[in-house]
Amino acid sequence: MNAVDPDFLEKITSLLADPAYQSNPLCQPLADLLEYSEQQRLRLERVLRISDGYQHLARHDKHNLLLQYDRQVRRLEKLARISDRYQNSLREVSEALKEAALHDPLTHLGNRRFLMERLREESERATRQGLPYAVGILDVDHFKRVNDQFGHELGDEVLCKIAGAIEGALREYDLCGRWGGEEFLIILPDTTISFAVPVVERVLAEIRSIRIALPGQAFGGVTASIGITAYLSGESYAQSINRADAALLAAKAAGRNRIELAVAGEPLSCDDGAVRTSRK
Amino acid sequence: MNALTIEGSQSTPYIVADWDKGCLLMKGDSYPENSFDFFGPVIDWIERYLADTSAPLRLELRLVYMNTSSVKAMMDIFDLLEAVHAQGRAVRVDWFYDPRNERVLGLADEFREDCSFPFEIGIDA
Repeated sequence: MNAVDPDFLEKITSLLADPAYQSNPLCQPLADLLEYSEQQRLRLERVLRISDGYQHLARHDKHNLLLQYDRQVRRLEKLARISDRYQNSLREVSEALKEAALHDPLTHLGNRRFLMERLREESERATRQGLPYAVGILDVDHFKRVNDQFGHELGDEVLCKIAGAIEGALREYDLCGRWGGEEFLIILPDTTISFAVPVVERVLAEIRSIRIALPGQAFGGVTASIGITAYLSGESYAQSINRADAALLAAKAAGRNRIELAVAGEPLSCDDGAVRTSRK
Repeated sequence: MNALTIEGSQSTPYIVADWDKGCLLMKGDSYPENSFDFFGPVIDWIERYLADTSAPLRLELRLVYMNTSSVKAMMDIFDLLEAVHAQGRAVRVDWFYDPRNERVLGLADEFREDCSFPFEIGIDA
């Protein structure tokens, strides 16, 4: 039998109303049972209605939560996207600043700060691993004359060409930079002084071969002098630099356009490949 | 208090709100230590202005760098504008950027996404 069969209820009601059964003792209890059943039916319907209402409400809430969740996820993605872009732009700025802080804007070579950092690293490495490295200070000969005779613009061009010449003559793992003014520093890692000499000779030869075309004027070219030394394990790089500087002065004093070698305490001179001893 | 002025610093933008003109200006970098505290009064001002008046509101932004919590505060502000715009309120954002810093253009454009109120991005002359 289904939950509510109207025909069935109808039949009971008409039986109860039939005068022929009024004296039947089951008549009243049956009427009570019918009433009770009707009440239960109404009760059940009410429970179902309330339950459905709750379910509907829960579904509605869930739907809203999903919408909110999607919205928050989209917001978070947008926030992350924008924030990442800001972060990237900061990183680019920081890279550019780092580049600017370590490079010479004219020649694009490393600047003094860059060189000092490398000298420190190379000295630590050389001391730790017992490997030699050579360092040279190069100074352009009579650079003031170039500036005075042809102007600072050409002077700047000469410096750029010299920077290019040095870079071109060095081996891939050698380092160079602008030490200041018309002075350049060369670092030759894993290199003894005798292996450094041919590399440095190549540098000077490259500088001699620089040609600049000037309308109506003859630019006679430039030469450079260089003092080189080997880093001594355990010493401060400033000591090596001082030795190289002294060798550079000796090269200047000996007539420029040449290499002078300095061993600790005893500078050596090298002219066009022919090495000779000379006192400071 | 209908006046709002926050002096700028190295890490916070200069902010000035003009109730009568219905205009709020923010200018500079924004990476305050506590963005919630910093932007609280700004968001309050906007909410009060939108609740107490029915006049148009214009945001003039000249922001350069923003940290993540500032970006979030700005998105919250744009959400406020979006909500009242949906009810027919006249609101707009004018974002000016320095042509030397083109990145800001892309960022402002990213912010503009999902905003249906008028949102102009222009070069700071």
